[in-house]
Amino acid sequence: MPHATHPPSPGLQALIFCGPGLSLNTFTSTPSTLPKCLLPVANRPMLWYPLDWCHRMGIYDITLVTPPDAAPPLEAALRSHPSLTSLSGPRPEVLAPKGLEMTSGTAELLRLGEVQRVIKGDFVVLSCDFVSEVDGSRVLQQWMSLNPALAAASSSRRKGGLAIYYPTYGGEGISSKRDETDFIATAPLSKPNVMPPMGSLRQEVEEVVMVMPTDTLNDTLNENKQALPIRQTLLAKHGNVKIRTKHRDAHVYFLPLWVKDFVARNEKFDSISEDVLGWWAKAGWQHGLAEKLGLDEVLAGKRSTEDEAGNGRSVEEEEEVDATALSSTKSAPAPVRQPPQAFATRVGNSAAPPSRPKLAVPPLLAYMQPVSPAQPLIRRIDTAAQLAFISLHIARLQPSDPSPLAHEHKIHPSASIGQQSRISHEDCLIAESVTIGIRCNIKESVVGANCEIGSNVRLTKCVLMDGVVVGDGVQMVGCIVGKRARVEGTSTAGSKSGVAEVEGAAVKGKGKGKQKATAQSGGEDDNKTKLTECEIAPFFVVEAGTEAKGETMKAFDTEGELGGDGEEDVGDEDDEE
Amino acid sequence: MAEQGEPAEQSKTADEPKVSAAELKKRAKADKQARRAAQKEQEKAPAEVPPATNGAHQEHLTQAQGVQQDQKGKATQAKGQQQPKPSKQGGQEVRQERGGPSQPPNIPLRNKAASTAPSKKLPKKDNTVVELLSHLYPVQRRPNLAGVSKDVHPAVLALGLQISTYEICGSSARCVAMLLAFKEAIQAYTTPRDTSLPRHLVSHHLSPQIDYLRSCRPLAESMGNAIRWLKKLIVELDPDKPEHEAKDFVCEEIDRFVHERITVTDQAIAASAQDQIRNDSVVLTYAKSAIVEKTILQAHEQGTRFRVIVVDSRPLFEGKRLATSLMRAGLEAQYVPFSGLAHVVKDATLVLLGAHSMLSNGRLQSRVGTASVALRAHKADVPVIVCCESVKFSGKVALDSIVLNEIAPPEELLLSPIPEKSPNHPAGVATTAVTGKSAAPGKSAAPGKDASEDDEPAKLKTLHDWNSIPNLRLLNPMYDITPAEYIRMVICEYGSVPPSSVPVVHRLANEGM
Repeated sequence: MPHATHPPSPGLQALIFCGPGLSLNTFTSTPSTLPKCLLPVANRPMLWYPLDWCHRMGIYDITLVTPPDAAPPLEAALRSHPSLTSLSGPRPEVLAPKGLEMTSGTAELLRLGEVQRVIKGDFVVLSCDFVSEVDGSRVLQQWMSLNPALAAASSSRRKGGLAIYYPTYGGEGISSKRDETDFIATAPLSKPNVMPPMGSLRQEVEEVVMVMPTDTLNDTLNENKQALPIRQTLLAKHGNVKIRTKHRDAHVYFLPLWVKDFVARNEKFDSISEDVLGWWAKAGWQHGLAEKLGLDEVLAGKRSTEDEAGNGRSVEEEEEVDATALSSTKSAPAPVRQPPQAFATRVGNSAAPPSRPKLAVPPLLAYMQPVSPAQPLIRRIDTAAQLAFISLHIARLQPSDPSPLAHEHKIHPSASIGQQSRISHEDCLIAESVTIGIRCNIKESVVGANCEIGSNVRLTKCVLMDGVVVGDGVQMVGCIVGKRARVEGTSTAGSKSGVAEVEGAAVKGKGKGKQKATAQSGGEDDNKTKLTECEIAPFFVVEAGTEAKGETMKAFDTEGELGGDGEEDVGDEDDEE
Repeated sequence: MAEQGEPAEQSKTADEPKVSAAELKKRAKADKQARRAAQKEQEKAPAEVPPATNGAHQEHLTQAQGVQQDQKGKATQAKGQQQPKPSKQGGQEVRQERGGPSQPPNIPLRNKAASTAPSKKLPKKDNTVVELLSHLYPVQRRPNLAGVSKDVHPAVLALGLQISTYEICGSSARCVAMLLAFKEAIQAYTTPRDTSLPRHLVSHHLSPQIDYLRSCRPLAESMGNAIRWLKKLIVELDPDKPEHEAKDFVCEEIDRFVHERITVTDQAIAASAQDQIRNDSVVLTYAKSAIVEKTILQAHEQGTRFRVIVVDSRPLFEGKRLATSLMRAGLEAQYVPFSGLAHVVKDATLVLLGAHSMLSNGRLQSRVGTASVALRAHKADVPVIVCCESVKFSGKVALDSIVLNEIAPPEELLLSPIPEKSPNHPAGVATTAVTGKSAAPGKSAAPGKDASEDDEPAKLKTLHDWNSIPNLRLLNPMYDITPAEYIRMVICEYGSVPPSSVPVVHRLANEGM
């Protein structure tokens, strides 16, 4: 997928948060070797997707924020991984702030000195697990055109933000009921001046008035006898509020520069999605909240940190001429009137507050993806199920599809496929240097680079990450197999018997699969390995003859760390009879 | 503009591998129509086009000027000129190319690759264009950011989007916003080695910005004047001046320009125009003009008791915004659709109009429909007063809205968003409304045909399918021309002048710079 030309820079910088991936811990238990952002999704590191998305928008100023643990493998991958190096444009910066823990909240992360220093203009925050077929520039375009006029000035403090929400239902084969959801209340924007042109997302952009994760919602409900208290002021300001509970935050936020100060001021903000956006959305209608959060000072440009030259000047100019006021499609705001001081005699002068014009909180917009199977994909990959869904979805894309995620080769030319093996072209993805034995049947599966698949193997709806070895006669349905894992089949070559023993040890000790322990070295046909809907951790070895369903196969952290079975050669030495 | 793009097009048509017989026939038919249209225009041509005024603006070819050249060149070029437009086959890409020299050359390819949604649209057939006005159709409005030159500054990029979605609309608003965005762009500029800022900035840095803005929406007259001023300013800079000083100087000058030519001017005009509003006046105005709004609000603040009638029309409904502003300020405002004009004009004692541009023959170019308002008012002996900053004065002349105009995308006339599966709409209502509307001010809309007569009786076609209804054309002009006879007075910062003095003011204000 070549980028024909560089799109113009939208003047944004991107921060990609490479987090720990708690729900994917089968595969990411050791962030120092394989951080979440390098997990392969349809044979590309997860990080490729947000990076490519940014590049398509014309954003090349990208900073990856990651805990110090995960920084070395990330940098190594950026230098050497073929998918990441093939991305055009300058290589993204890796920022590993010292204080960053795996458990830090996203807003906490924004408050860190290192991150604060990096942010120099409007920015977009992404998470590394974001996958989108929606062209970022179309969303960006809405953000740009809906910002108040002249907020184009990079130092302006009247710009709003834009978040993306996608529906967690309605997608064929991608949505599952167990997906995490958010609670979002939105109010419609004023109608567009004219019918937006075809392909515009304008109709789906709304103003967020409340947002919280479903967990918080449930807590609130429990506290309030299953009722959700909503303030009158919300309804006074927005008469038409739509509440959605089945959409999910895509964790992509287009944010103006002032948010940096906003976050820095409010020490108690923990996460961007819940706290920063939640309070911002509320400040738009709740009386006095904006002042309480210090928004008035943030928006007035009182900066706690270093000041940029020219900032003050442009603020003055905005006061003098305002293209919005001149525009024929905007109406002038109500003139500010001093309220008559009717009670002055009784209350006394001290009580008269200095009447200020009401603070106009910039709007927080949201692109709410409509529910329809035809909609392009937007997802976060934060569970193993999602990982499989997305990988298989991408595998179904044909090279001719318009989707930016489609692979150029469904089956990489360097893959060698044995005779009489059947691989369904339309829904499989085979990476480079894969060897597949004879008489295999592979359907709806993704096979990562350097995998070795024996003969008579049947794979259905499986995702194999890089370097997986699958023995002869293995049957797998709906499995996700981690990097360099080994699934032993009935009869491996005799030369590998030593390795087979290791697996024996490993599985005996750590695996939970109920294996038929008979088949240490036997080659009987009835002892086939059959795995259904299993997750197999990286470097884990599944012994021959294992039959399992719906299990997670991983080493226990307590036992011998992962170094033991982490590397095969080490494993060889450790092996005892 | 048409001629400029012509060589590229011809080669394009020649390159096209297969043209079916039906298409050839269609093309021939379209050619004939175009030729007829061209002839019709040619008859009018001698009456206008004073070449002297035109010469000055060569570098800022707006579509309008392309038209004037059109007429000059018609005799020699008629043959080549007429053929490409109506026979557009490839839809977007081809139309993109029509921009020819004004576009960076990499556009068409990129657009093809990247814009998924618009390419799904029906291929543009000749019935998207009203032949008589085919010269006015701009290069395809940019549907998205794909293919924009990478030199475009982010501030300008955002501005372009805001202009094309009409978030910023109105001649002076666009002009101000453009200048402020250019300020950002200039600050971000660094002169490359071996050249100097005055020589390099305009041609290599500002031109892509201007081209991009033009591709978002044709430039307004005020923008053209401001660009001309800015270019002159930069070119005349001392090449030895240090770069940052030069940039600061340019930015200060831009501020000064905005301040002098727009802000202070508006105040002066409002102050002078508000004297026209007396107690018990009934002010009638059309659509929304920032300066008319200011005038009315100031008069209201002064304590004058009067009422305002706001006449409005589709599709922008700018009058609604004006009525809202006035209502918020506590004025008595009456909001009337365009169809109610005849009724309310009887009550009016004064008509205040804003301007897109004042042309050198004293005619007013303003939002489409203004001419009818002025005509009605004139017939009812109500004075028509135009408020217009001198930056909007133009050296061009036009007798009718066919020669100088801007055609907005016809889709903007549709009432509701395009439904995914078009249900049975009350299409007839919408169809008649639109054709009726565009026929009146544009004076030239093709007759709308009832959708139900179509050859597909099974599916009722709605206005959304206008592209595929053979005898239906949609026309969405932005402006019309009001004859000078209907205008009692033009208030600009040089004072209140009759329309006949427009060329003088233009010379003073825009050419003596």
